[in-house]
Amino acid sequence: MSTHAHAHKHPTEVPRSGPPLIEMKDISIAFGGIKAVDHASVDLYPGEVVGLLGHNGAGKSTLIKILSGAYQRDHGDIFINGEKVDIANPRDAKALGIETIYQTLALADNVDAAANLYLGRELRTSWGTLDDVAMEAECRKVMGRLNPNFRRFKEPVKALSGGQRQSVAIARAIHFNARILIMDEPTAALGPQETAQVGELIKQLKAEGIGIFLISHDLHDVFDLADRLTVMKNGRVVGTARTSDVDHDEVLGMIIAGKCPPGAIPGPGALQSPAAAA
Amino acid sequence: MLRKILTLAAGAAALTAASLATTPAMAAGKNICVSWKTFQEERWKTDEAAIKAVVEAAGNKYFSADAQGSAAKQQADIEGLITQGCNVILVVAFDSDAILPAFQAAADAGVKMISYDVLVEHPDALYVTFDNVGVGRLMAKTMLEKGKQEGNFAFIKGDKGDPNATFLFQGIMEVLKPNIDAGKIKNVCETFTDGWKPDAAQKNMEQCLTSVNNKVDAVISENDGMAGGVVAALEAQGLAGTVPVTGQDGDKAALNRVALGTQLVSVWKDSRVLGKAAAEFANMIADGKANTDIPNVGKFNSGAKGVEVNAVLIAPNPITKANLNDVIDGGWVTKDEVCAGVAAGSVDACK
Amino acid sequence: MAAIDNTQSPALEREGAVTRFLRATEIDSRMLGMLGALLVIWVGFDLASAFIRGGDGLLGGTFLTPRNLWILLVQTSSIAVMTTGMVLIIVMRHIDLSVGSVLGFTAVCIGTMQVYWLGPALGVGHPAIWIITLVLGLALGAAIGALHGTLIAYFGIPSFIVTLGGLIVWRGAAWSVIRGETVAPMDKNFKLIGGGISGITPGSIGATASWVLGFIICAAIVALIWNGRQQRKRFNFVLKPVWAEVLLAAAGCAAVLGITFVLNSYYWPKGVVDRWAQQTGATIPPEGLNISFGYSIPVLIALFVGIAMTFVANRTRFGRYIYAIGGNPEAAELAGINTKKITLMVFSLMGMLAAISASISSARLDSATNALGQFDELYVIAAAVIGGTSLAGGLGTIYGAMLGALVMQSLQSGMTLLNFESATKDMVVGCVLVFAVFVDQVYRRRVK
Repeated sequence: MSTHAHAHKHPTEVPRSGPPLIEMKDISIAFGGIKAVDHASVDLYPGEVVGLLGHNGAGKSTLIKILSGAYQRDHGDIFINGEKVDIANPRDAKALGIETIYQTLALADNVDAAANLYLGRELRTSWGTLDDVAMEAECRKVMGRLNPNFRRFKEPVKALSGGQRQSVAIARAIHFNARILIMDEPTAALGPQETAQVGELIKQLKAEGIGIFLISHDLHDVFDLADRLTVMKNGRVVGTARTSDVDHDEVLGMIIAGKCPPGAIPGPGALQSPAAAA
Repeated sequence: MLRKILTLAAGAAALTAASLATTPAMAAGKNICVSWKTFQEERWKTDEAAIKAVVEAAGNKYFSADAQGSAAKQQADIEGLITQGCNVILVVAFDSDAILPAFQAAADAGVKMISYDVLVEHPDALYVTFDNVGVGRLMAKTMLEKGKQEGNFAFIKGDKGDPNATFLFQGIMEVLKPNIDAGKIKNVCETFTDGWKPDAAQKNMEQCLTSVNNKVDAVISENDGMAGGVVAALEAQGLAGTVPVTGQDGDKAALNRVALGTQLVSVWKDSRVLGKAAAEFANMIADGKANTDIPNVGKFNSGAKGVEVNAVLIAPNPITKANLNDVIDGGWVTKDEVCAGVAAGSVDACK
Repeated sequence: MAAIDNTQSPALEREGAVTRFLRATEIDSRMLGMLGALLVIWVGFDLASAFIRGGDGLLGGTFLTPRNLWILLVQTSSIAVMTTGMVLIIVMRHIDLSVGSVLGFTAVCIGTMQVYWLGPALGVGHPAIWIITLVLGLALGAAIGALHGTLIAYFGIPSFIVTLGGLIVWRGAAWSVIRGETVAPMDKNFKLIGGGISGITPGSIGATASWVLGFIICAAIVALIWNGRQQRKRFNFVLKPVWAEVLLAAAGCAAVLGITFVLNSYYWPKGVVDRWAQQTGATIPPEGLNISFGYSIPVLIALFVGIAMTFVANRTRFGRYIYAIGGNPEAAELAGINTKKITLMVFSLMGMLAAISASISSARLDSATNALGQFDELYVIAAAVIGGTSLAGGLGTIYGAMLGALVMQSLQSGMTLLNFESATKDMVVGCVLVFAVFVDQVYRRRVK
C-alpha cells in the first residue's frame, strides 16, 4: 500500500548517473490506418521497475512488442545505454539482452519444459545435434530456484498447470542474462501465493540491476512493485510519475480520463484542462 | 465494393466475348466433333490424328472435348458440343449407361451420334468399333494356338466399370470354354484392376502367384499396360518368357516385349484404321446419309440391354513374334523400338 | 549426490504391472498397440488363407510365408518413404495433397531421361545413367516441393489450396511430357532400385550382406541404448533399471535378426537360378540351390529414409522447430525461429521424398506411366494418421507412420490374397482408417 502523496508542486527528480537502460523516443506504429502507438516515449533505468498502465487497446502491449522485436516501429528511435539500436526481429531483441514474458506465455504446448526454455537457442553437442540431456539439466537448475516442487520435466507443457507454465516462461526469460525484462500481465492468472513469489523474484532481479517493464492492470501490484509508472490512453502517453508521487485515484484519472495530476510529468496524451493547473 | 462489382462485370463480359469468338461459324463445311472419355492413355492421340486428317480433308471442321475420366463431365461436354453447333458427334463413352440422356438430347436436337469404340445402346447412334468380343476371342485363340492349351490360367481384367472389360472376357471365355469344361484349363485367379492401372496389375499378379505358389501356366491380360505389370511380377519370380501373357492396344513397350518373348501377343487395333473409318462415316452422315446406308454396316445387339444398333465392326490384328512386320511396315512403330534389346537373329522382323 | 529422478511423475498409489513395465522401459504404449494390431492382421490373414487354399505359412496359410512378407515389405516401401515427410508436414499444421502427382511427374521425367536422352547419348546400359537420372530426379522433386513451399510460406496461400492445385497441375504435366505413352524399359541398373531381378542380378543384397547388416543394426541398437544411459549419467539422472535396458536391447536385436532371418528365407525362384547357372556356368547340385534374396533395395531405402528422418525430427534443431511451429506458430515466431524458411524446407523435403518413391515405383514396374502414383496421397496421409499423427498439428512420429503404412499395405495385400473384390477392399480400408483415428482419440483422452 502506498502512502498518499500530498500537494507536491512538481514531480520529484531522482538523481541518476548514466544514460537510461532503455529509452524509446517518439515511437509510432499504425495498423491499417489505426494508430496503435502515437509518438510515445518511455524510459527505464537499471534496477528500476516501470509500470505500464492503461485500458485495453491503449497501446501498452504494442509498444512493448516493438521493444521485443515482434513488431517493427514505423517511426521513432530506441536507445540502449545511450546508443541507438535497430530491433528488426525477436532475435535482435534477445541479442541486446531484452527478454519478454508474454501475456499468452508463448510456449510451444507439445514440447517439454526444457525444449521451451531453450526454444530458438538450443544447446548442441559437438556433433551439431540437440543436447537434450544438457538442456534438461539446466532446466532443472533454473526451475529448482523458481519452483522447487516442479517435477514434470518430461511432459509436454500443455499438461502443466497455469502457474507451472508461468514458471517455465519466467525461467526462459531470466536464464539468458537479460538486462531488460518485459513482463506482460505476469500475475493475471496466478493465485496470491504465486503472485507473492513473482513479487519476490522482481525484487531480486531489481537488486541485480535488471530493468523491468511491468504491464499490469492491477493498481495494487503496480504500486507495490513499480518505482515509476507510465499511463497510456489511445496510443498516447498520458503521463509518467514516480509511484510515490501519485495515488490510486490520480492514476485512475489518468487511465480513464487522461487527466495528468501534478505529481506526474505529462505526455502528449494528457488532457489540457484548466482544472489541472499546477 | 463498387470496384468489385465492376471487376466482376468486366470479367463476365470478357468471358462471354471469348466464348462467342470460339463458337464455330455455321457457314462453310460441317462440324464434326469428338467427345473423348480420357486422353490419359497412349492410343487416343493416334485416333485423333486419323480422324482429324479425314475430317479436314473433306473440308469439314474438327472440334473435341476431353471428359478426363468423368461421366458427369462427358455429359456436360456433349451438351456443350451440341450448343456449339456440331453436326455429328463421335463419342468415346466413359460410362455407357450414364451417357444415354446426352445421346437422347442430341437426337432431339437433330445432331447425329456415332459411338466410337465403346458401345452406347441408343438406337439412333452408329456403333463403330473394333470387335471387342472379337478381340477377346482372338486373345484366347492365339493363346491356345501359340501359347498354352491347358494348365492354370490367370485372368487380369480391366476396370470393373468399363463394359469393354466385360466384352473382352466374354469373348475370351467363349473360346476357352471347351477346355475349361473338359477340366484342361483351371481358372486360378480372376480379378478386375482399378483404372486398368499397370502397378495395380503388378500387385494383383504378385498376390496371385503367391496364392498358388507360382503354379501359373498362362496369363490373360486384357490390355498392354496391365501386361507390363504382369510381366514385371512374373520376372521377379523368374517366370517371364515361360508363362505366356496376352495384351491388346499395340503399345510400343508391349510390341518390344513380344519381340523379346515375354509377351505372347498384343492384339493390334490400328486406331488409324478405326479413326479413318469413323471419320469417313461422320462426313457421310453429316452430308445426309442414313446409318443403314453406311458401307459394311450390320446389326449389333450383343450389349447388356440387347438394344439393336447399326454397327461397323473392324477386324483387329493379333501381333505375335511371327507377324511383327505388320506393325513395322504399317508405320505404327519403328524397327528399333520393337527390336530394342532383342538378341540378334532370334526374331525374323528384327533381322 | 542423490540421483535426480527424471522419469517419475507424482506416483500413483496403485499401478498395474503393465503400467509399471511401460514406465520402466519408457516404451511408447501407442506403438505397442499398433504392433499388436499388425500381429492380429497378419495372423488373421494367415488363418483365413489356410481355409481357402492351404500353404506352407506359419499357421498353414499363405500370408505368413517368407515370400509373402518379403514382397509385402517391397510393396510398402514407396508409401512408407513418402509418409515420413507427410508426418512433418501435418505436424506443422499443413497438408500436401500433391505427392501422388509429383511422384507421377518425376517418374515420367526420370523415364524420359533414361529412355530418350541418356540412353541414346551414352549407350543403353551405361553405368552412369542410373545415378545421373536419380540425382536429377531428386533435384526435380525438391524443386517442385520448394515451389509449393514458397507459395505457402512467402505468399501466404493455404497449403491445402497450393497442393490441391499441384495435384491437378503435376498430373497434367506428367501427361504432357509423354503424351499418354508408357516409357519403358528403365535402365537395367536403375531397375534394381525396385527390388526386382534385372537379368540375373537381383535387386537385393543376398544372405551374407543381410546378416552383416542385421548384426550392424543390432550393434547400433545396443550402442544407442548404452549411449542413452551414459548421457543420463552425465547429469546424474535416474537411470532405467538394468533389466529394462537389457530387455530393450535384446528385443531390438531379436526383432532385427528375426526379420533378417525371414528375408533370408526367401530364395530365388527356380527359373532364375537356372538362368543364373546357365549364364555364369555354375553347376546346380541335385537337391537344388538355395540362394537367398535378403533385404531388397527398396526396403533398405525405406529403412534408411526412416532412420534419417527420425534423426532429423528428434535430434536436430530443424526437427525441433518443426514440432514447435506445429505446437504454437506464434510462440515459434517470437522465439526467433524463421518459420517461413522451415516451411519451405519441409515442403522441399517432401518433394524429394516423392521423387525417391517415384524411383522405387517406376523401377519396380520397369516403366514410367503418367498415371503412376495416382491417389497415393490419400494412402500416405492415411498411413501417417493411423500412425498417430494428429491433423490438428504438433503430434506425430516417423516410426508410427511407417508402421501405419505397413498396416495398410498388409490389409490390402491380405485381402487381394483372399480374392476380395476391389470394391470391398476399398470399403475395408476406408473403415479401418476411420476406426484407427477413433481409437487414437480415445487413447489420447485416456492418457490425459
